[in-house]
Amino acid sequence: MSALTLGAQQPQAVGAAPPQRRRRRPARSPWLHVVMVPVTLLWLSPIVFVAFVAVRSFDDIAARGLGALPASFSLEGFSTAFADGGVLRALGNSITVTAFAVLASLALSACAAYALSRFAIPGRRTILLTMLAGNLLPPQILLVPVAAICESLGIADTRLALVVVQVGFGIGFYTFVLHGFMRGLPVEVFEAARLDGAGAGRIFWQIVLPLSRPSLAALAALATTWVFNDLIWAMTVLRTEAKFPITAALLNLQGGYASAWNVVAAGSLAAAVPTAIVFFVFQKQFVSGLLVGTNK
Amino acid sequence: MSAALADVEPEVAPGRPPEPRRRRRGRVPLLVWVFLLVPLVVELFWVFWPAGNSFSLALTRWDGIGAAEPVGLQNFLDLAADPIFRTALVNNVVWAVGFGGLSVVVGLSLAVALNKPGPLVGLYRSAIYLPMVVSLAVTGLFWRVMYQPGGPVNAALEVVGLGSLQRQWLADPEVALGAVLVAAVWRQVGYIMVLYLAGLKSCDATLEEAAAVDGAGAWQRFWRIVMPQLRGVNMVVFAVTVIDSLRTFDIVWAMTRGGPYNETQLLSTYMFQQAFTTGNLGYASAIAVVIFALAIGFIITYLARQARTED
Amino acid sequence: MFTNLTTTPVTRRQLLLGGATLGAAGLLSACVGSPRQQGGSGASGGTGTVTLQSSIQDADPKAALEALVAGYTGAKVTLNSVATEQFRAQLTNYLRSSNPPDVLTWYAGSVARAYAAEGLLLDVSPLWKGDGACAGYSDALRNLSTDADGKQIFVPQNYYWWSVFYKKSAFQEWGVQPPTTWDEFHALCENLSGQGVAPLANGIGSTPWMASGWFDYLDLRINGAQYHRELLAGEHSFTDPQVVDVMEEYRRLIPYFDRNMASYSAQEAATPVAQNQVAMYLVGAFATGYFPEDQREDLDFFSVPVINDSVPTAEEAPTDGFFAAARTDNPEGALDLLSYLVSPEAQQQYIEASKSSNLPTSPDVDTSSFSPLVQKGIQLLNETQEITQFFNRDSSDALQATADTALTRFLAQPDDLRSILEEWQRAAEGVFSS
Repeated sequence: MSALTLGAQQPQAVGAAPPQRRRRRPARSPWLHVVMVPVTLLWLSPIVFVAFVAVRSFDDIAARGLGALPASFSLEGFSTAFADGGVLRALGNSITVTAFAVLASLALSACAAYALSRFAIPGRRTILLTMLAGNLLPPQILLVPVAAICESLGIADTRLALVVVQVGFGIGFYTFVLHGFMRGLPVEVFEAARLDGAGAGRIFWQIVLPLSRPSLAALAALATTWVFNDLIWAMTVLRTEAKFPITAALLNLQGGYASAWNVVAAGSLAAAVPTAIVFFVFQKQFVSGLLVGTNK
Repeated sequence: MSAALADVEPEVAPGRPPEPRRRRRGRVPLLVWVFLLVPLVVELFWVFWPAGNSFSLALTRWDGIGAAEPVGLQNFLDLAADPIFRTALVNNVVWAVGFGGLSVVVGLSLAVALNKPGPLVGLYRSAIYLPMVVSLAVTGLFWRVMYQPGGPVNAALEVVGLGSLQRQWLADPEVALGAVLVAAVWRQVGYIMVLYLAGLKSCDATLEEAAAVDGAGAWQRFWRIVMPQLRGVNMVVFAVTVIDSLRTFDIVWAMTRGGPYNETQLLSTYMFQQAFTTGNLGYASAIAVVIFALAIGFIITYLARQARTED
Repeated sequence: MFTNLTTTPVTRRQLLLGGATLGAAGLLSACVGSPRQQGGSGASGGTGTVTLQSSIQDADPKAALEALVAGYTGAKVTLNSVATEQFRAQLTNYLRSSNPPDVLTWYAGSVARAYAAEGLLLDVSPLWKGDGACAGYSDALRNLSTDADGKQIFVPQNYYWWSVFYKKSAFQEWGVQPPTTWDEFHALCENLSGQGVAPLANGIGSTPWMASGWFDYLDLRINGAQYHRELLAGEHSFTDPQVVDVMEEYRRLIPYFDRNMASYSAQEAATPVAQNQVAMYLVGAFATGYFPEDQREDLDFFSVPVINDSVPTAEEAPTDGFFAAARTDNPEGALDLLSYLVSPEAQQQYIEASKSSNLPTSPDVDTSSFSPLVQKGIQLLNETQEITQFFNRDSSDALQATADTALTRFLAQPDDLRSILEEWQRAAEGVFSS
């Protein structure tokens, strides 16, 4: 995502200052830390707090309340979440669906963005904005018709349906972002390729996609958090518990009348791990991607 | 990227040879049409078609079970007279401004503060971003506990001597929406910060240095030199913020369910309640139409303004 | 659930009759009878696979249902647990699907009747005839499970009672006794307040429907079950003097409530009771699961005391159970699974394993091994003259939403009573007209 800004700025950035010319201002540093250390602690406190809840026993929570500091240490929450909650299976489902949905939607969006940004398609701006507008629809209202469509296509209650729905619902925004990036790619590169006799397909594959890597990486990180954390589509499309993603499994851990908060907290922490990994991996990816971009 | 969007007439863009463009305009390769049409059809089929279905329900009264009964514009007339809808509408505006404003101000400040590498900076950035990996529903859950009468927030106020500010955060209609807003912003800030960090990286540092040599203050440099270069990020931040704030649902639902007595109802939560708790799918569809119209209005207004400033 | 009676021909008379018979004659009068060895147990019919879609989320009842399903030999059963709220939102999709889940958990009421009217629910009358699993159930349950055309579409499995729960040890510590009259109840509340203990717990934050518990009971005690049902069916206005009386009585209780009740959910509200900071909690018997394991023996309850002697006694007892999808491709399998699930043995096993103090619907369950608390609950319901379910089940989820708004606002701003009731009536008319 970050990268698209690069795209917009790229013509100026070409031949601009190398990064090592950034100034250092050591004088400001102490103040930075004076402010940032408490801010960071404050920022992490809700997560730390959930970790506390996760290692308490149910009886401790029931007797002393959720807000109390731990008086017990027990991994009961984690063991229950992983044993009965089917958390592992659900994590597997989430990862599969997320991987396919992110790949497919980025692939399709990249194609559409390429077509819209580099070719004189009539009404392309309207098309782009219409696609973006699709993303503004509140999903809650599409539940009933989408379920009916899945039903009539015979793909209701399959993970495929979930992937397809996620793709359909993501494309607009990803295309919008990638379009902005691809628009900024220097025209000279395309001219050179065309002079070499490369067709539209080869230019896309050999030039546009590699150049768009940082942008794709950043979008992938964003899309992962969206798809992975989705609950509402999963509930619309799926009804077999064995196919549920982690968000639905977490919801199931919260009782209708009574919740074992330690189990819910443990499950929530487990559910956050994959997205955290993806983000920290991709963070490096798109920072380095940025540098590659500027060198071209 | 804003530049790209506003770039209706690419030929006039300076520094670009107009000729090849013109040549391409005549002939769009078949493959490129396929590239465009496949994703377009997918989106039309999975988003716009169901949306059309749904919107047509806005003209009916339907409980989701029996047959839908056409009622014309009655649902919209009812909406106009519905006090809860008005509350939700006002809340939604407050939400969009508060959510967007706070996360941008805090996210941008943090990005500026943490832009330069240094000891611990990576750690700070990660900590600020970390909430983003937690789903909204779970965020709501965390914060509901944080706000409990004997919970960490009130306890912390007591400790720092602000005991008089203690209250039942989610039960007090005066502050409940704000309390939910804080939780949502907590999660969003890291994301906005990462966007701006990336934007700042691609800013031309020499310009700022030159301005510093000319004696421009930090504040002036930021607004005159850095901000204009961030226009592309601003655009994306704006789109993301509008989408996220109009679609906000999970966190409010998890924290207050629109209560106390509908005082924290947003359009999305009110719509969900109407559709699935009380079974008024026609009425809910009418609310969805309003949400959609608002979103489009926001986006179009902004894009139009953006396009003008480009020219 | 009675709301829609105005539009469906299952007459209100039938239902009121049902309510009446539920009384002294008793839902559970046959409890002591020897368990008949019948029930589905896969003896006949069911082949292939059957899908059971469950909205049961609480850990112990969920595990109990899983164990029950595992013991079924008639067919391979796929059990899917879906969070209740999502389940509610998806119910129509489930039933309309061309390949629907065969059996679904839910409760009898307006929603079930609406589905039945659309022909989406399987006719389960065979279970209610001859030696079917439900043939011996009370007339009240039969009426509850009957649709507009007179056929049964619902299979009740268990129910629970509402009462004022407290901890015996805490009452002893404070030197107080459970009250037997309304005046004693107020005196008790005064006494406890004087000792610095909040008398009444409640959790109307994320579970605003909890505010209807006291409303229902005060209406039942002041105006009686008959009036209550009629009010919830839209035959009286919420601005009636009778309702104002109820609200005035409710207002007298406001100072006694835990001042944090608007921040708590039903479950969180139990924590201060467990900690002896709050004394009593009007709640369904499911609440026993909110307490730490070692406090559950200590729990006891008393019924909300009589306010007006001339009004017949009444208690709330919501009933849960199953229905099946009309479009199932395995109706025999569905019926067989249903027979199994509500057989006396299965009910007994389910209730014991779910630790939730629920009561069996089958008259043939041997309840002698149930805890003293549950025995007392059975007795309470046997002795009462009228039984209602709960606000939303006696009316509709739509009307419940109007009650949530009105009652939570009333509890925060009791002085606005008049405008709150007017607004409630306006919202209720919107519900009844749709």
